[in-house]
Amino acid sequence: MKLTRRNFLAWAGIAATGAIACDLFDDELRVQSPVDIPEDLVSGRDNWYATYDASVPGGQGILVRVMEGRAKKVRGNPRFPTNQGKQSPAADAILQSLYHPDRIAGPMLRNGPRGAGQFRPISWEEALNRFNAAVAERGDRMLLITEPRPGAFARICDSFADAFGGRHLAFDTVDDSAYRHAVKDIMGSDGQPYHDIANAETLVSFGSDFLSTWGNPTAYSVAYGKFRSGHRGRHVHFDPRYSMTAANADKWLPIAPGAEGYAALALAWTLIEMGLAEGDVARLTNGQGAAALNAFRPDAVAGALQIPDAALDGATVAQFFAELASKLAHGGLAMGGGGAAGAYSNGRFNASAALALNYLLGNVGQPGGLLPAPDTPIPGGIDARPAPLSDWQGVASDIAAGATRLVIVHNADPVYGLPARVGLADALSNEAVAIISASPFIDETTAMADLLIPDRAALESWGDDLPDPMPGHTVYAVQQPVVNPLSDLDPRSFPDVLLNAAADLGQGASMPADSHEALIRSNIEDELGADFTEALQNGGWWNENSAGSAPPPASGLLANVAALAAPAAANGTGEFQLLPYPHHTVLDGRNAHLPWAQSTPDPITTVVWQTWVDINEQQGRRMGLREGDVVQITGPNGSITALVYLNPGMPPGIAAVPMGGGRRSGSAYATDRDARESSNVMSILAAAQVDGSGGLAWSGNRCSITPAGDSMAVAKLEGDYTSREIGEHSAELVFKSVSEEGSH
Amino acid sequence: MVVDLDKCTGCQACVVACQAENNIPINTKDYFLQRRAYEWIRIERYWEGEYPNVKARFMPVLCQHCENAPCEPVCPVYATYHNEEGLNVQVYNRCVGTRYCINNCPYQVRMFNYWHPNWPHRMENQLNPDVTVRSRGITEKCTFCVQRIRRGEIQVEARAGQRLDDNRIAAGNYDPACVQACPTSALMFGDLNEPNTAIKPYFDDVNNYPGHHEHERETRGYRLLEEMNTRPSVIYLKKVDQYPLADKGAH
Amino acid sequence: MAIAGLAATAIVAFIVVVLFISWFSNPPFGWGNAPDQPIPFPHTVHAGPVEEGGHAIQCEFCHRNVTTGAAATVPAVEVCLICHKQVNGANVTPAAEVDPDKHINIQRVLDRHADNNPIDWERVHRVPDHVRFVHEAHIRFLTQGEPETVTLPIGDEKPINLPLEVPEACSVCHGDIAGMAEVQPQDSQSLKMGTCLDCHRENSVSTDCTVCHK
Repeated sequence: MKLTRRNFLAWAGIAATGAIACDLFDDELRVQSPVDIPEDLVSGRDNWYATYDASVPGGQGILVRVMEGRAKKVRGNPRFPTNQGKQSPAADAILQSLYHPDRIAGPMLRNGPRGAGQFRPISWEEALNRFNAAVAERGDRMLLITEPRPGAFARICDSFADAFGGRHLAFDTVDDSAYRHAVKDIMGSDGQPYHDIANAETLVSFGSDFLSTWGNPTAYSVAYGKFRSGHRGRHVHFDPRYSMTAANADKWLPIAPGAEGYAALALAWTLIEMGLAEGDVARLTNGQGAAALNAFRPDAVAGALQIPDAALDGATVAQFFAELASKLAHGGLAMGGGGAAGAYSNGRFNASAALALNYLLGNVGQPGGLLPAPDTPIPGGIDARPAPLSDWQGVASDIAAGATRLVIVHNADPVYGLPARVGLADALSNEAVAIISASPFIDETTAMADLLIPDRAALESWGDDLPDPMPGHTVYAVQQPVVNPLSDLDPRSFPDVLLNAAADLGQGASMPADSHEALIRSNIEDELGADFTEALQNGGWWNENSAGSAPPPASGLLANVAALAAPAAANGTGEFQLLPYPHHTVLDGRNAHLPWAQSTPDPITTVVWQTWVDINEQQGRRMGLREGDVVQITGPNGSITALVYLNPGMPPGIAAVPMGGGRRSGSAYATDRDARESSNVMSILAAAQVDGSGGLAWSGNRCSITPAGDSMAVAKLEGDYTSREIGEHSAELVFKSVSEEGSH
Repeated sequence: MVVDLDKCTGCQACVVACQAENNIPINTKDYFLQRRAYEWIRIERYWEGEYPNVKARFMPVLCQHCENAPCEPVCPVYATYHNEEGLNVQVYNRCVGTRYCINNCPYQVRMFNYWHPNWPHRMENQLNPDVTVRSRGITEKCTFCVQRIRRGEIQVEARAGQRLDDNRIAAGNYDPACVQACPTSALMFGDLNEPNTAIKPYFDDVNNYPGHHEHERETRGYRLLEEMNTRPSVIYLKKVDQYPLADKGAH
Repeated sequence: MAIAGLAATAIVAFIVVVLFISWFSNPPFGWGNAPDQPIPFPHTVHAGPVEEGGHAIQCEFCHRNVTTGAAATVPAVEVCLICHKQVNGANVTPAAEVDPDKHINIQRVLDRHADNNPIDWERVHRVPDHVRFVHEAHIRFLTQGEPETVTLPIGDEKPINLPLEVPEACSVCHGDIAGMAEVQPQDSQSLKMGTCLDCHRENSVSTDCTVCHK
C-alpha cells in the first residue's frame, strides 16, 4: 500500500482520535457548585479546628486541617497544656481511622455462626428496635464494656447501666491498676500525678516506658526536650528491658525483672544515710531514719537487683547509688513504678516505692517534682478507670453462670486483650448471651457480636476527656466533630444511641442529658462556668491556678512501703522472662488496622508490620538463632510464634515481645500476616494478679524459646538504606557525642 | 535546619507527620522486604558499645539540601537544582527517572517511586491538595515542606501592614511538618537568609571552623559526611554523653 | 518496502499529530469551543454592563474566594438565589423581553436548590497538572499598590494602568468575560507555562519552580 494523501489523512484521523481519547479524565474538567456553602467548604481554603484525640496514651489536644469537608492533617494544639503543639507518632493515624476502607458502613446483623464474622446490612430502624428490645428484655443482666473514657461519655454509660440495673466496665489491655492503687494509697487521688520533668535536674526512673507508651508520652517528651535544654538534666533509668526510655537515658541499668522497688528503696536508704533527704525523714520512717530501710542497703539488695558489674563503670553498687543520691539531692525527681514495673506480683511495692521516693526528696507539689492530680472539675467519670483483671475474671464466671445475658461493647476488645486463660472468649461463645458492638471496626470481640451499631469516628463526634495525668492543674478536653461522615457511611453516635434508647424505654429521666453534645455543653457552661464557643476554639478548658494538693505523707510511709516488699513471683517456667510491652504506635492492638501505625518502624528494632521477640544478641547466637528465625515462645498458658530479633541491648534472659500482633478478625492491615510473624503475646500469659490490686501481672511470666525450624525475612527499616556511614565508619564516628564537660 | 541529637528520642512522630503531609504512599510489608520503603525523613538507629554498656543512638536523616549538592550536576534533565532560598528542589514533571541522583547522593535520602501511587478506597480523601501525588517512575525527596513555606509567604504578604501573630496556626505553618510535630523540639527550622534566625549561630560556627578545625567549634554542631564538602543545610548537634562509653577513646 | 515506509510514516505522523494536539489542547486553548454547561449561564446578563442589558455584578460577588484564596471558586446554588428568589420568571414583565428558555433555566436553578442537588459545571479554564495557581496573589498584584503603567507580556500587550478594579484584573487573563454569553477559552489568555514565566520575569516575580510546582 502506497502512502497517498488520502491514506495519510485516514491515519492522521485515527491518531487524532487516539490522542483525544487518552487525553483527560472527565472528572478533572468538572467543578461542582454545592447547594449551600458553609465557610469551610471553599475549595483551596483550609480551616483548622481544635479537637481532641483520646486514642493515644494520655490523650492530646489536636488541630485538624479541614479542606472541602475532608480532614487532611493533624497537628498538636499549641494551646493545649499537655502536648503543647506537639504530637505523638500515632496522631496522624486518626485520619486513617476516619477514612479507613474497612470501617463498618452501617448497622449490621449477624448472618452466620457466632464469631464467623458474617454480617448483613440492616436499617437503623431495625437495628435500634433490636437494640431497645435487647435492653428492655435483658437490661438487668447487661454488661456495658467501653474504653476508659472519663467525662460525659462515662457518665452516660454509667447512667444507662444503672437505669436498667446493669454494669459498666472500662477495659484497657495494659492493666495499670497496681500503679493506680499505689497513687490512691499514698496521694489519695484517683488521677495519676504528673512528673514535672521539665524543671527537674536529675531524673531517676523505674521500669516505666514514659517516652513511648506510659502516662502521657507526648507530654513527657515535650518536658524531656526542655529537661535537656539549658541546664541539661541527668537521667538514670532502671529497667529489665531495653526500652525506648532506656535507650534515651544517660545511664541505663539493667535490673532483675520486678526489682524496681528494691532499687528505689536502696536509693532511699542511701539518701537518708548520706543526710541528703530533703523530706521529713523522721515522719516518713517513724523516727527510725535509715534503720527503717536497713534491709534495702545497696549491698544487701545487690543480689536482688542483679545489676551487671560492667554497667557500674567500676564502682560497687553502693558507690554508684551514693553518687546517684548526691546528684538527686538537688532537683531530683523519681518516676515510674507503673506500666511494666507495676505488672509483677509485687507491682504495688514497685509503684509505691517510686512514689514514696519523691516524698523523701521533698519534691511533692514543687516545681520539678511530683505534682498531685487536681480535683475533677466535672461530675462523673472516675469509675471510667480501667477495670482490673479480677473484675474480668468475675465477668467470665458471671456469663457462665447466666448472671450476664447482654454484652454491649464499644471500642474495647477484651477477647483479644485478656489472657486466654481468663476464659472470656469461651464464655461469650455461649449463644444465650446477646452481644452488641458499637465499635466502628471489626475486632476480635466485635466479630462475635449479633448486632453491629457502628459509632462515628473520633473526628466525626463529640466527646470530652479528663486527661490522665493532668499537667499539674485542671484540664478539661473537648472533642468536637470536625467533618461529617462520608456519604457511603452511616454511623451513629453511640452515646446518643444510649440516650435515645433510654428515653424510648421510659428511662429518659434518669439520664444526665438529652444528647451527648448537650451534656458536654452543660459541663462547660454549668460546671465550669466557661463559654462553650471559646472552649471549642481552644480545644478545652483549663485553669493554670488549680494545682492539685496531696495530703501530707502517711506517718511511716517508707516503713509501710518497705513492708510491702516481696520478690516478684514468676508464672510458668523457662529460661526467659517474658516481657510483653505495648507497641510504640500500634499500642495494645487498638491501632493494628491503621497502616501508618503498622508501617512506623519500632524505634529500637526498626521492625514493621510483624511480631518479633527481642533476644540478647550474644545469647541468641549461643542458642544458634539468627535474625528472622521463627521461634516458639511457650508461656504459662500455651505458645505463640514470633520472629527473632537479636538485640544488642536486651539483657540476657529477657524475651520482650510487643503487643498488638496476631489479630485474626477485621481489617486486612491487622490480619493478613500468618501466625509465624504476627501473634498475640497476651493470649499466653497466666491470669495472675498483682498482689493487693487485682490487676493483671502481665510482666511476671516465664517462657521457653525453641526454634520452630523455619525462618522468614524481617521487615524492617534497618539496612534499607545502606548508608555509607555504616559502611565506612563505626557508629561513634557517625554519631558524634561529647562528654558533659565539653557541652555547650 | 538544625537537628539536636541530644533531644531526639527516636519516637518517629516526624516520620508519620511527614507521610501525612506529603502524600507518601503506605509502606506495606512488601515494600520493606524489597527495601523500597520510602520515608522522606527517617530515624536511623545506630548501636554503640556492648551489653550492658550499650547505647542505641537515634539520628533523623532527611534531604540535607546541600549547597554543593552531588545530586544536581548528574541530572540529565535539570529536574533537580538549587533555588535562591537554598532549597534543593526536585521538579517532578521534569524527572524522567534515571536515578543518577539517587546513586550520587551520599545520604541516601532520595527515593524512587517504584509503584503507581495507590491509596485504598476512602483514604484518598486525606491527601493533601497542596502537594503533588507523584506518579510512578520518578525521584522524590524532602522539600522542607515547600508548600507550607509558600502558603505562609502568601499569608504574610496578604496581611502586610497587619499584625502577623493574630493567627497562631498560620505562623506555625512556616515549619515543616516534622519540625512542628517533634515532641522534644529536637528539630529547629529557620531561613538562613534572615539575619536573626535562631539557627544562624550554629551555621556560623560550623562554617567558621570547617574540616580539621572541628574541635575548635563553640557549639556542638557538625555536618554529616563533612569531609565530602557537600555543605549541607542541615546541621546536627552532637549528643551529650554524661556516662561516656569506656572504650570510646580507643577509636 | 512500501509497507515499512508506510508504517514509518504512520508512526511519525502519529507522533506529530499527538504532539500537535497535546500542544494546543492541553490546556484546552486555541482549539475547541466552550463546553456545554448543564444550565446555560450567560455572563453577559449577569456581569455585562447595564447599558447593554447586563446587571454589572462584580466578579467577586459570585466567585467569592478569588480575592482571598487560591481558587476563585464557583458559587453555591444558594448564591444564585440571592437574586433569583425574586427574579424567578414569574414576576418578569413583558417589557423585559424574556426569552422563554431563560425561564426554564432559572426554574432549573430553583429546582436544584429545592432538590438539594448540586450543579456540576464543566470546567473552562484549566492549568496543566502539577501547577498550584493562587488567584489571590495575582489579584492583589493588579489591584493594590502604587499607581503605575505596565505592559504585561500577555494577550495583546496593551499598557495597563495599575491599580485595576477587580473585574478588570480578571479580564487581564480571562478576557472580557462580561461580554461572553458563553465563556470561550480561545478568547482568554493562554495558560501555558511560557505565559506564566514571561509575566513573572517581566515583573521581577520569582520564577523558582517551587512557586507553582510543589
